Amino acid sequence: MKKMMKKMLPKVSAFLLVCILAVSMTGCGSTSTSTPDASSAAPVAAASSAAPAESVATAPAASSGPYYDESATAESVVTDGAGKGKVGNWGLGNEYEIKALLTKYGQPTDYLSQAFDMDGFDDDSILLASAMTYNELGLVTNSYKGGYSYGDKVKYIDMNDEGVAMLEDNIFCTSAFAKANPNTVKAFLYASMKGWKDACANPEEAAKIVFKYGSSVSSEHQSYMAAEVKKLVETDTKGTTVTDYGNMDDTAMQQTLDLAKKYIKLEDSTAADKLQTLTLDNIRDTSYLAEAIKSTDGKFGTPEKADVKIQLKWLPQAQFMGYYVALDKGYYKDAGLNVTITPGGGDISETTAVNSGQVDFGVTWVSNLIAANAGGMDLTEVSQVFQRSGLVLVYKINK
Amino acid sequence: MEIEKLQDRTNVEKLTTVLYPVLFGIFIAVLWQTQILHKILGTDTFTLPLPGRIISIIGDNHATILKNVGATLIVALGGLTAGSLFGYLLGIISTAFPKWGAGGLTVVSAFNAVPIIAIAPILNNLTKDFSKDANTRSMLAKMLVVMITCTVAMSINAYRGLTELKPFSLDLMQSFAASKLEIFFKLRVPNSVPYIFTALRVSVPACVISALVSEYFAEYIIGVGRQIRENIVLAQYATAWAYIFVACAIGIIMYLILLTLEGILLKGRR
Repeated sequence: MKKMMKKMLPKVSAFLLVCILAVSMTGCGSTSTSTPDASSAAPVAAASSAAPAESVATAPAASSGPYYDESATAESVVTDGAGKGKVGNWGLGNEYEIKALLTKYGQPTDYLSQAFDMDGFDDDSILLASAMTYNELGLVTNSYKGGYSYGDKVKYIDMNDEGVAMLEDNIFCTSAFAKANPNTVKAFLYASMKGWKDACANPEEAAKIVFKYGSSVSSEHQSYMAAEVKKLVETDTKGTTVTDYGNMDDTAMQQTLDLAKKYIKLEDSTAADKLQTLTLDNIRDTSYLAEAIKSTDGKFGTPEKADVKIQLKWLPQAQFMGYYVALDKGYYKDAGLNVTITPGGGDISETTAVNSGQVDFGVTWVSNLIAANAGGMDLTEVSQVFQRSGLVLVYKINK
Repeated sequence: MEIEKLQDRTNVEKLTTVLYPVLFGIFIAVLWQTQILHKILGTDTFTLPLPGRIISIIGDNHATILKNVGATLIVALGGLTAGSLFGYLLGIISTAFPKWGAGGLTVVSAFNAVPIIAIAPILNNLTKDFSKDANTRSMLAKMLVVMITCTVAMSINAYRGLTELKPFSLDLMQSFAASKLEIFFKLRVPNSVPYIFTALRVSVPACVISALVSEYFAEYIIGVGRQIRENIVLAQYATAWAYIFVACAIGIIMYLILLTLEGILLKGRR
């Protein structure tokens, strides 16, 4: 018996080797077209030789160059980009406006996962790239350090113009926190709005303050961002000027909620059902801001909690200049608060951090707050800082 | 009589090695469902949903979940086979050229220290022009990550399996005037089979883990690992837990399959 096993073994092992080989060949066959060996050298070689050929091959049929005509309509650009499967977005809750736009023009709602740089747009693997007016759009057009210097060789589709705008940066806390600490909430809003007003009056100065507090980007980009964020804070989705900072406009909020109900897909049926039942009253409370605005001196009685933390949606940058200005100019201190600003961008999202009590306030997009409340959190928005959507789809034009 | 008693004892031992962990698992599940576990850990049913809810989410979404499991499995198994083959090839090369072979393998094992989180985005960029289909090219990028993690274990074990022969067996073969090729196929390769399984015991769990992590950074949004992340960021903890459950199941089932295969192929060898 043992002898037979020994005789068999070479055959068995040879069979095993052949098996592994066969599986790997078929495995590679389905993914690889150029080389059967999936060694890391192959893609590098392909990168240098295949790149020019590919950019020619991706030329849209209905235009005179590899990209889009300057006069092309939003519909034709979106239809072409979606047809090629080259619409990019970061995902993670940033994709609903893009899905709404694709649906508006009768396209499937698939999109490519876009990295946090614009390299994919630069090398044409993404034809229509998501960009925030105050951040990525500046990197694409401007030529300062880190910029791609496209200048006027790009155009963009604005979500506000397309009627699919969803509101973004707000200030929120848990309903329980707001109920237990009304004076703290009012004082925090009063000081924050004072900071935003100041920042919008002097965006250059605000950019410098943010840069001082630790910045993820260069000072030139910081000033660009401050100027663009000012527009989002002082203009609504229709292009009208807004003077009451942090105002929660019912129409824009309702549009955000309606789009959220349509495009946020939750696999948890309990959460999905709850999403459909949400109303504006489940996601925002206007009473605190109303009282904060009424006050002329920022005195609301002793704050129930004087040491408070706010977690931002992203790294320190002029997107959040109002809070840094309020902190730097002592507006929080004047209101009797000792505020710590915590940068975001990690995988502990601001909704989770606020819900678990790690921080008291958070800055998030309204759609993220809606999804979190559907999932079982009880968060409430107390101020809507950005009055219009800052999301655009940027594309190159033939020039 | 004595032998029978001994066999009885080993049977009981075999039974208890399976029974105790299973009982412990059931014990934890009961604590979990009755929320005693939540009190011990100081957490709530939002962050740690009940098993019943998690299982019902898996049941409601089995089609979507299967699609993601499929994507993860292709990456994990594709990377595992490619990495293991490449590793075995390296083992053969170092056996054929023993002078620099062992030293070369030390360099290869240095790759083991490369954190895959660091190379995943780089591989995404390198594979950009591989295919026009984002799913295909990001699948390749993920597979390369898995392949790198699987290569090292196999190459070192294959080298040992091909060189650490039974005493005098090489002398015996040489006394029969066996050619190098005959020695390779009749002595070295069979000798390396148990070592292949030693390597696989390391790389099978590793391939699942690296497939899940590489999905985080992939260009195309698919896979069990990616769904865990997307759902946690969107504060959908119950759904995230459903995918965590599935990820655990993939790892455990693949390891069980490996153990079964090893039991069949190496019967009488150990």
